[in-house]
Amino acid sequence: MTQRNEHRSKATKPSRFKLSLDAWAVTVALGLSLLIWIGWIKHVPW
Amino acid sequence: MADSIALAPSQPLGIFRRLAQYLPGLVLLAAVGYAGKFLERSIALYARSHHVTIPNIEYVLWAILIGLVISNTTGVPAAFRPGVATYEFWLKAGIVLLGSRFLLGDVLKLGGLSLVLVAIEISLSLLFMTALGRAFGLKPKLTTLLAVGSSICGVSAIIAAKGAIDADDEDSSFAIAAILALGAIALFIFPVVGHWLGMSDQAYGLWAGLGIDNTAEVTAAGALYSDAAAKIAVLAKTARNAMIGFVVLGYALYWARKEGTEGVGNKAAFLWRKFPKFVLGFLVISAVATAHVFTKDQLTSLANLSRWAFLLTFAGVGLRTNFAEMRKQGLRPFLVGALGEIAIAFLTLGLVFGADRFLR
Repeated sequence: MTQRNEHRSKATKPSRFKLSLDAWAVTVALGLSLLIWIGWIKHVPW
Repeated sequence: MADSIALAPSQPLGIFRRLAQYLPGLVLLAAVGYAGKFLERSIALYARSHHVTIPNIEYVLWAILIGLVISNTTGVPAAFRPGVATYEFWLKAGIVLLGSRFLLGDVLKLGGLSLVLVAIEISLSLLFMTALGRAFGLKPKLTTLLAVGSSICGVSAIIAAKGAIDADDEDSSFAIAAILALGAIALFIFPVVGHWLGMSDQAYGLWAGLGIDNTAEVTAAGALYSDAAAKIAVLAKTARNAMIGFVVLGYALYWARKEGTEGVGNKAAFLWRKFPKFVLGFLVISAVATAHVFTKDQLTSLANLSRWAFLLTFAGVGLRTNFAEMRKQGLRPFLVGALGEIAIAFLTLGLVFGADRFLR
């Protein structure tokens, strides 16, 4: 019984790593900065 | 209000179907934002070519106004809402990118000054809002939510506090509606008062950052005044946002003790969960820019990216503001919020004038 419960709790654990909205925003902003720094994005007009 | 633009339900959809859900709203945000930019440029061109003087109305205001008109006439159709709700994401990405326009030394100097003013502002606002809520006979948890929303950071703080103190959905939607309505009003009043008082960009930016609740409205109110004021407003607001965790933790402990419920567990983990991570992103970019990692052209590109992100945010501010929905939430929470906001506006104005000599 205990084994089955452990098995079930393992199965119901969220399998994917989830980022919060904040973390996504930071990741995207830092990623874009990196692309600008390495020169993949040459110029952003306004 | 809260249900008028809700985030898409988290269904087990494929990545492309999930992205497709956001597409119509994103296109709408971009169209409204760009229409604002187009209008500003077209009017300026018309005035120049016809040798007439027309007051320059910034794209910020146009984007918000167009959004407001759509939201309060036809409404935002359901298919567009998930994408429109991403304006918070663009706001935070824009703030992180804005870090490239600050030298770390300036951030520490202005951020340090802001933190001192924020601490005074939060303490006095919380006390005042609590007393006001009691005087008007509001429910204690609704009073807590309004106090947190108006003293720190609008909707994000209310959502963070709602979970921590186990408040009703109804109370949080009252508080959110009041804070959003008041933010929309402050967005238009602050620049007028700032110009009337002849405030410098720095003083005005600090005032907007301390006195207006929601980060999106702070950014817009700053940008309506000047580019330099927007920078300072965002920095001051970022310092204010950094305090969310501490205030919410305080209220969570207070309510847990009062109701005899389980506490918050590990306090450090709680603080980390509630801490707005974009503040760290902002500091990282600022530190990298200070270390001269980026060239001058690259810094211009980063600043422009930040402007595009804010353009989508301003469109979202207008599109998510529906006055009819807000009216349904009742007058008393709005009245308490309004009185509190007026008091906080005066208080923060006094603080800014007091700190003015440190700004020069």
